[in-house]
Amino acid sequence: MPVDPLRVAVVCSSNQNRSMEAHNILSKRGFDVRSFGTGTHVKLPGPAPDKPNIYDFKTTYEQMYNDLVRKDKDLYTQNGILHMLERNKRIKVRPERFQSCKDQFDLVVTCEERVYDQVLEDLNSREQETFQSVHVINVDIQDNHEEATLGAFLICELCQCIQHTDDMENEIDELLQEFEEKSHRPFLHTVCFY
Amino acid sequence: PSTDMDAAVAITTSEKVVELLNQASLISTEEKLVILKQVQELIINKDPSLLDNFLDEIIAFQTDKSIEVRKFVIGFIEEACKRDNELLLRLIANLNMLMRDESVNVVKKAILTLTHLYKVALQCLVRTKSVSDMQEACWDMVTQMKDEVLALLDSDNDGVRTHAIKFTESLIITLSPRTPDSDTPKKHEGDISLDKIPKDHTYIRYDTLSEEGKFALEQLLKFMVHPAISSINLTTALGSLATLARQRPMFMSKVAQAYETLHANLPPTLAKSQVSSVRKNLKLHLVSVLKHPSSVDFHGQISTLLLDLGMSQNEITRCTPAIPQPRKRLQ
Repeated sequence: MPVDPLRVAVVCSSNQNRSMEAHNILSKRGFDVRSFGTGTHVKLPGPAPDKPNIYDFKTTYEQMYNDLVRKDKDLYTQNGILHMLERNKRIKVRPERFQSCKDQFDLVVTCEERVYDQVLEDLNSREQETFQSVHVINVDIQDNHEEATLGAFLICELCQCIQHTDDMENEIDELLQEFEEKSHRPFLHTVCFY
Repeated sequence: PSTDMDAAVAITTSEKVVELLNQASLISTEEKLVILKQVQELIINKDPSLLDNFLDEIIAFQTDKSIEVRKFVIGFIEEACKRDNELLLRLIANLNMLMRDESVNVVKKAILTLTHLYKVALQCLVRTKSVSDMQEACWDMVTQMKDEVLALLDSDNDGVRTHAIKFTESLIITLSPRTPDSDTPKKHEGDISLDKIPKDHTYIRYDTLSEEGKFALEQLLKFMVHPAISSINLTTALGSLATLARQRPMFMSKVAQAYETLHANLPPTLAKSQVSSVRKNLKLHLVSVLKHPSSVDFHGQISTLLLDLGMSQNEITRCTPAIPQPRKRLQ
């Protein structure tokens, strides 16, 4: 196993549910992990599908929590949003936007195709400097609590397998195909360079 | 300003380095890396006058049994040579040795470093009026290492091939002329390229370098049409071609042709999801080429490919730059 731990980023749209669930599990398993969203804003469900709560990435989880408690404590307790925000603020202060982060990773796992596209677009638009490679893998996860949990376990298992390869770049193709068969999900996979 | 004070600081840094290096020889890998990184910071950034003094002590770690320590030594060679280009003359042989390491991770790191140091070496040589024997030997070794990395496009190891592709991409850019329509990233503004090579240099030959650049491009294009190319290698090569087209628009026609050929003949060895990944990449890179003003002659060809890849005519039009009308001559 390499001495340098795998630097992992998990990315969804708002850095609230799917990426944070995975962040939680991966950090408990000792991974060097960070989480991000790719959206222009952070969106949380509101009183109706067409009335989401929208925040910018500067807003802390705590502020969102307080805002929703003020707006309708019962509703946001019942639909689990307050519970999720509570969990999130134990992990970090505020959501982070992938496009604003200049740190380098070895592996970026995205939670839906649109997010994968945005990550690729961002990484390809940056000026190449070090030529250090970063593998980007998409695992489709529906944006609800149950799927987020299942998805997080799958991402964790995937990261563990990758971490344990002797030679990640030589084995990752085969590994992903095994995972596809096992999980019955197709994975998009590419490599970008910093 | 007191020079005594400076001297005192210098002595302390030097003593600190000696102390750290003594510790480093006795401890576990993880701690060793922490200490070596401190030494690197001290002698490269804090007090580079110490670099020469402690070079051999650091380089001695190239035979360490830990892969990470050997990778550290390569990173150190890169930083040291960037700080003081002359050191390349002494360190190139060490890099050459590390490029033959038994660990692929060390080899990959060495390729990455050669990608950067190749340009440093060429730049140095161009600056020099009368080339010494040692400089000649250094450049010959760099050239030989370059050939070896090109040959690694045939390596058995997927990751090594990926690194070899990136090296080839960078080499082609260096060994071809930058032109007014080159889209050069800001960070590479000052990089050496063929147009800056004097045609009357005493040791390096413009024509030879130019030929070597063309040969590298041929190797890359040949590599891309291999029927059993891996999905990651293919993805890497697609990106390299887009970079080449933007930074060296003179290759636009070859790049457009290569994309077209590939699109019509995706390797049969790719799994279904790999095909999706590759097609997505192809689309992304075609759009970035389409956006370059010099792709104008290839708009038809590129648009057809993008339509095939599922992009709508509207989206394509949005990504196509307006063709600049020739300005009317002012009286």
